[in-house]
Amino acid sequence: MFSFSSYFSTEYLVMLLPASVVLYALLPQKLRRWSLLLSSYVFFWAISGKLIACLLFSTLSLHHFGIWLGRLQGNLDCLLESSPREMRKELKRQYTKKQRLVVAFALAVHLGMLLWLKYTPFFASNINTLLNLLGIDRTVSVPSYVLPIGISFYTLQAVSYIFDVYRRKIPADDNLLRLALYMSFFPQIMEGPICRYSDTAQQLWEAPKLRRENLLLGTQRILYGLVKKMVVADRLNLLIKTVFAGYESYDGLVMAVAAVCYTVQLYMDFSGTMDVVLGSGQLFGMNLPENFQRPFFSKTISEFWKRWHITLGTWFKDYIFYPLSMSGPLKKLTSRGRKRLGNHFGPLLAGSLALFCVWLANGLWHGAGWNYIFFGMYHFALILGGSLIEPFVVRLTQKLHIQRKSFPYRCMQMVRTAILVCIGELFFRAEGLRAGLAMFRKMVTEFSFAALRDQSIFELGVDKHDCLIIFVVLLLVFVIGVLQERGIPIRQRISQKNLAVRFAVYYVLLLLIIVFGAYGRGYVPVDPIYAGF
Amino acid sequence: MTFVKRALCFLLFLLGLAGLLVGLSFVFAPKNNMSEFGMEEVSANGILGEKENTIDVLVLGDSESYSSITPMQIWKETGYTAYVCGTSGQPLSYTTIMLHRAFERQSPKIVILETNTIYREVSKSNARIAKLANYFSIFQYHDRWKDLSWHDFVGKTKFTWTDTYKGYRYSAEIDPSTRGDYMQHTESVARIPPENVQYVKEIQEFCRQNNAELLLVSTPSSVNWNYARHNGIKVLAEEIGCQYIDMNLMNEQVKIDWSKDTRDRGDHVNHSGAVKVTHFLSQFLRETGLLTDHRTDSEYAKWNDSLKIYQSVVGIIHTET
Repeated sequence: MFSFSSYFSTEYLVMLLPASVVLYALLPQKLRRWSLLLSSYVFFWAISGKLIACLLFSTLSLHHFGIWLGRLQGNLDCLLESSPREMRKELKRQYTKKQRLVVAFALAVHLGMLLWLKYTPFFASNINTLLNLLGIDRTVSVPSYVLPIGISFYTLQAVSYIFDVYRRKIPADDNLLRLALYMSFFPQIMEGPICRYSDTAQQLWEAPKLRRENLLLGTQRILYGLVKKMVVADRLNLLIKTVFAGYESYDGLVMAVAAVCYTVQLYMDFSGTMDVVLGSGQLFGMNLPENFQRPFFSKTISEFWKRWHITLGTWFKDYIFYPLSMSGPLKKLTSRGRKRLGNHFGPLLAGSLALFCVWLANGLWHGAGWNYIFFGMYHFALILGGSLIEPFVVRLTQKLHIQRKSFPYRCMQMVRTAILVCIGELFFRAEGLRAGLAMFRKMVTEFSFAALRDQSIFELGVDKHDCLIIFVVLLLVFVIGVLQERGIPIRQRISQKNLAVRFAVYYVLLLLIIVFGAYGRGYVPVDPIYAGF
Repeated sequence: MTFVKRALCFLLFLLGLAGLLVGLSFVFAPKNNMSEFGMEEVSANGILGEKENTIDVLVLGDSESYSSITPMQIWKETGYTAYVCGTSGQPLSYTTIMLHRAFERQSPKIVILETNTIYREVSKSNARIAKLANYFSIFQYHDRWKDLSWHDFVGKTKFTWTDTYKGYRYSAEIDPSTRGDYMQHTESVARIPPENVQYVKEIQEFCRQNNAELLLVSTPSSVNWNYARHNGIKVLAEEIGCQYIDMNLMNEQVKIDWSKDTRDRGDHVNHSGAVKVTHFLSQFLRETGLLTDHRTDSEYAKWNDSLKIYQSVVGIIHTET
């Protein structure tokens, strides 16, 4: 049995991916889609074993609910055409009710499976804590389930499909195999991006011919992802594990360093994975949606979340925030708020309720734990707080004659945002909320440069040489980020250069991985962080 | 660009990459077998500094091997030369590296594999790196970028250092074991990971090709060993057709006293335990009749020098013949 522990495993990079590309290349167009489906199910079987049944069930039920919705919509259209005008409103009302029932049923099945498997143990243990606090001598049993890898990702894809069919953004797909491919495409099923049916299903089904340019660009991107993961994320792993597991032994500076290192690790791991995922898709000519857009260039937390895990953010926006904001009660609240509090603060009241739900869901999506809920609430508070104080900040900067678009002011905003993000990640990574709070308290109250003065900070698993190579790679990522922000298509530019330059780029990337990669004896690679969500 | 041109370009790229890997392997490989030259596991790699074709018995395994078998005692008792290439937590992927490395300059007649390592999970990625490292040592020594010197780029490789203890790690500490009878009889068989079975088969095949005999040995450990594991190794030994000695079931002969012969509550034996284990092993090696006594051979004079140093630390070895 192969073990595809991550997209960085040799089983994936050296066996499954090349074998899938070769099979895809050898087959005629009509059979290529089958080869993609086959590779996807082989991959999922290898990572989840018998739990492949969950994916099959989700796909089959999604297909069924989609067709059910489609039929209702078809019937309604026929009836509307043949009915007198005065009856149409009533027909629409009746059919909307029926469709909503189908959607509710579909959500109960798909989200229900996710909620049951992922959150029941968390809720059960909290009920027990509550019963204990109330002095009630009863407990509920805490179940333990094995989650199929990727369930948090493909469930959100399923929900978006149902909603999009309901909203008539897309027609219901009667082709089970196309839907199965959309749900299971192997490069993205484990860690996203969370794709929309309208973006990926058709291109996957069309299965375009392999192109040399795509193969080269895809390979480049995979190598870039490997550099991020193996040189930076894996190299930081020992320090992060050591400090977060035994934070009691260290002072505030070490806490701050650990928070920064974890933020860097998370970014390098997840964005590196996305490079491998999107690069893998590109080998087949598939354009999967980007999940990162230089998040550390963000000037506010709100902007940060538009650049970090983009497909999750847009999913919450489209399927939680907007539906809630546009619901009757919140619309009424907004109009009342406008009248009483004005155009800035008025809509904030209703918006904050929708935002609260989004961030509660965001926190819980990342994991069933109070530290994840705290993580969500932390960002909710920061975003809401940012909106509340915005008019005062505008007035203050005007009074102080500070140019808000000036470079130093923007830099200050970026640094401030990065610091706030690092604090949030400290709670995110901490082993429980209590540990997170204790670490934060240490960071504030026990801050000293002693660990730097006596150099003990370099004995936690990352020495001075490690710092240097991490800095070099981060600088490389930064420069590439600046060029991308300026709209310069670096990879296309490289592909236009002569053979020697192109070879040199590949050699540099490969040698960075081979020489400076944190692998072999003494290193423990970081487990794919987002696959755990 | 035609298909042929593209194929040629790809070949050119691969050739360039292979050239780079060969060059880097040369630079990164330690130029001597001492730690200041970047050599890992120096006591095990001390075998590289031994005179060519002078080692009779090669011992491989994890910390159980270097804690319980002391080659200088074998030398004193039998005149056979043994070297322990065991390393801490040695997985079988690394065992094969050490085996191949040892056979580059030596041709031992007996290879002893301490069996605790057979139950160690081998990380798949590390196993692959070990395989790659057989061709390009950059994959093993890549982390040496931190302390490369000019000598690494221009110097010649010459291994000069030898270990006086021949890979054995001396410890006189006593921390008794209270585990009682850890070898209670059972019919159950502890499962050996299939990859590890494959490794052992490959090791045996390598030994066969190099005219060496593989011997599986379980040294005493009340923490790591039990009857189910014994059964597992017994089945494996029968399957591949090699001899197996389990000293955990031979306490009449080995006479380990767990109240004073262990340094860490039964995980490893200490020096007094190692003396008992090695004495038993010396007798066994003598009984095989495969090896020659070199004590009077001038070619092996340095072994007597090492023995003097060794005895100055551990005390005089009293031999029973």
